Amino acid sequence: MANVMLEVKELTTKYVTRFKEDVYAVDHVSLTLEEGKSLGIAGESGCGKSTLALSLMGYYFPPLHYMSGEIIINGRNITKMKPDDVRKSILGTEIAYIPQSAMNALNPTRKIIHFIEDVILAHDLYINKKEIYERARTLFETLGLPPEVLEKYPVELSGGMKQRTVIAISVLLLPKVLIADEPSSALDVTSQKMVIKMLRHLMEVGLISSMIFITHELPLLYNVTDDIMVMYAGQIVEKASAKDAVFDPLHPYAKGLMGSIIVPEEGLRDVKLAAIPGTPPNLKNPPLGCRFAERCKYVRPECRGVAVGLQNLTGGRTYRCILSEGELREAYKHEKEK
Amino acid sequence: MKGYWKYFLNKFGWFLITFVCAFLLNFTLPRLMPGDPVAAIVSRLAQGMSDATGVQAIYQQYADLFATNQPMHEQFFIYIRNVARGDFGFSFSQYPRTVAQVIKGSIVWTLALQFPAIIVGWLIGNTLGALAAYLKGGFDKVLMPISIFISNFPAFGMAVILMVVFGVYLQWFPTSGGYGFDLIPTLSWNFIWSVIVHYQLPFWSIVLIAIGGQAIGMRSMAIYELNADYVKYSRFLGIKDRKIIGYVFRNAMLPQITGLALSVGTMVGGALVAEIIFSYPGLGFTLLTAVRGQDYPLISAATLIITIMVLSANFLIEILYGFIDPRIKAAQAD
Repeated sequence: MANVMLEVKELTTKYVTRFKEDVYAVDHVSLTLEEGKSLGIAGESGCGKSTLALSLMGYYFPPLHYMSGEIIINGRNITKMKPDDVRKSILGTEIAYIPQSAMNALNPTRKIIHFIEDVILAHDLYINKKEIYERARTLFETLGLPPEVLEKYPVELSGGMKQRTVIAISVLLLPKVLIADEPSSALDVTSQKMVIKMLRHLMEVGLISSMIFITHELPLLYNVTDDIMVMYAGQIVEKASAKDAVFDPLHPYAKGLMGSIIVPEEGLRDVKLAAIPGTPPNLKNPPLGCRFAERCKYVRPECRGVAVGLQNLTGGRTYRCILSEGELREAYKHEKEK
Repeated sequence: MKGYWKYFLNKFGWFLITFVCAFLLNFTLPRLMPGDPVAAIVSRLAQGMSDATGVQAIYQQYADLFATNQPMHEQFFIYIRNVARGDFGFSFSQYPRTVAQVIKGSIVWTLALQFPAIIVGWLIGNTLGALAAYLKGGFDKVLMPISIFISNFPAFGMAVILMVVFGVYLQWFPTSGGYGFDLIPTLSWNFIWSVIVHYQLPFWSIVLIAIGGQAIGMRSMAIYELNADYVKYSRFLGIKDRKIIGYVFRNAMLPQITGLALSVGTMVGGALVAEIIFSYPGLGFTLLTAVRGQDYPLISAATLIITIMVLSANFLIEILYGFIDPRIKAAQAD
């Protein structure tokens, strides 16, 4: 088995709202990420995927709060560390983050190179400005970015260039794990493709060891990641290889999500476009039983009232449903015949 | 640098246009006031004189001296020529003192009062606003209503309140003048202390109002910046919070600098009123005396000086702003 880069055990985090209500946006999430692997996280808006990304950093600030669980990055349990130690020795060097909208991710009044200096100096790495410049220039060249970008202000860069600059800055300190939170959602298709190519390139040249890619665009995940995890209402509902998750989903929500893909790719043409009726439950007060029960076509009385656990299948595949694999397949077959 | 030059020239162009307009208005407006100032002076001088031709002669002499018998446009060209040489003519109401002498005596007081007060008010206001945004909670909840309350006071209202509370009721500070009426301006400790004591009330009446407005603006800007995406991203890159706070306040301050440029005019206007209330021997008080005495040259000169002060402050701030905000340069280069 390859080296485990990131191991998350039963991580729970919550938001505290202005009215002092607790919202459990990440609820007992466990996952493992091996060296050289990439994991995709999918789900509709508000399912907790971006919050999971923030929670994985191990560095919390209001309104997000840590509740329980463990995050082990490259053998170090960061949930047991002091926040300032996490900042200094984990953030950027072990785990790095690419924000949802890179458009405003850079301080508008600071030149890129000065921002890079701030990042490097924040980790007590005693190298001088000339060395920092050389390091940044080499990195930018490796990633196919013009080094002139370093001397510019963020306003002087195009959207796509800004996003790629953000990615370059994120991997500056060679993190083991890179978390990309919808890095391409605000870009046009051409820039999107460049960003995706760049992320893959990062893995190939070894600037990062593993990656978590969060998006609501499923075809993108299928192309980029090895495994896909589907989240619903703060919980994992299914985890499978990218191929299985897209072409053979087990959980009714995953099934519905895959069926609602708008851009059909080759092989997805026959799948009927369908929306999932209803809305996710309110996470201030989630139902005790299956959280998808209200919207599920195959709901049974047993679904409600008792918490539903994850079922493990061979090959590391898991899903959260009281029905067995066979029962679910039978139901889907029946549905298709109708 | 090309972008910056364009920005500079653009601002300078506007500065000139505003200046010319202000100059024209400065000259015309006082002269549109009804009444004959020369007649007023002559009647003062001619008290007790019974010789009508004598009075007529005096009138003629003063009309020649002040050139009030020339048509308006002639007067205007004479005025331009004289102003260009630094000659503002004689003061009608304080004749035989020249306008230059009167202005010289009062401008120091105004400069020493207003610019420190506006800058101190701006600094304190912005610091308080930034703290309110950062600390939130009780500090914010107390500071904000007070700021809103104070900033809505008219300048004279604040001056009157301070005067009544600290000058009349508590008697901590004198209520009028720039120094004790029994002192002669010298470099003695006595005099300096008197100046400092007289300085307090007008100074704080200007500062307090500036604080209120600036704190409100800075607070909302800082809250906006604190929630900006780059704050989260910088945090996740491991940058220290102190450094990030530095980013935030610098960025939040930028619109506040423009705000200062925009409000310098209003602030100076309010401060002039404060001078009048405290009988502070500055330009505001001089202006009031000049208006009362229908003293055209003095009114024109005082307003011209005030205009130049405000415009220059404005221009300086704009130029400075172009230097510290790269977005301005980028926008101009397009």
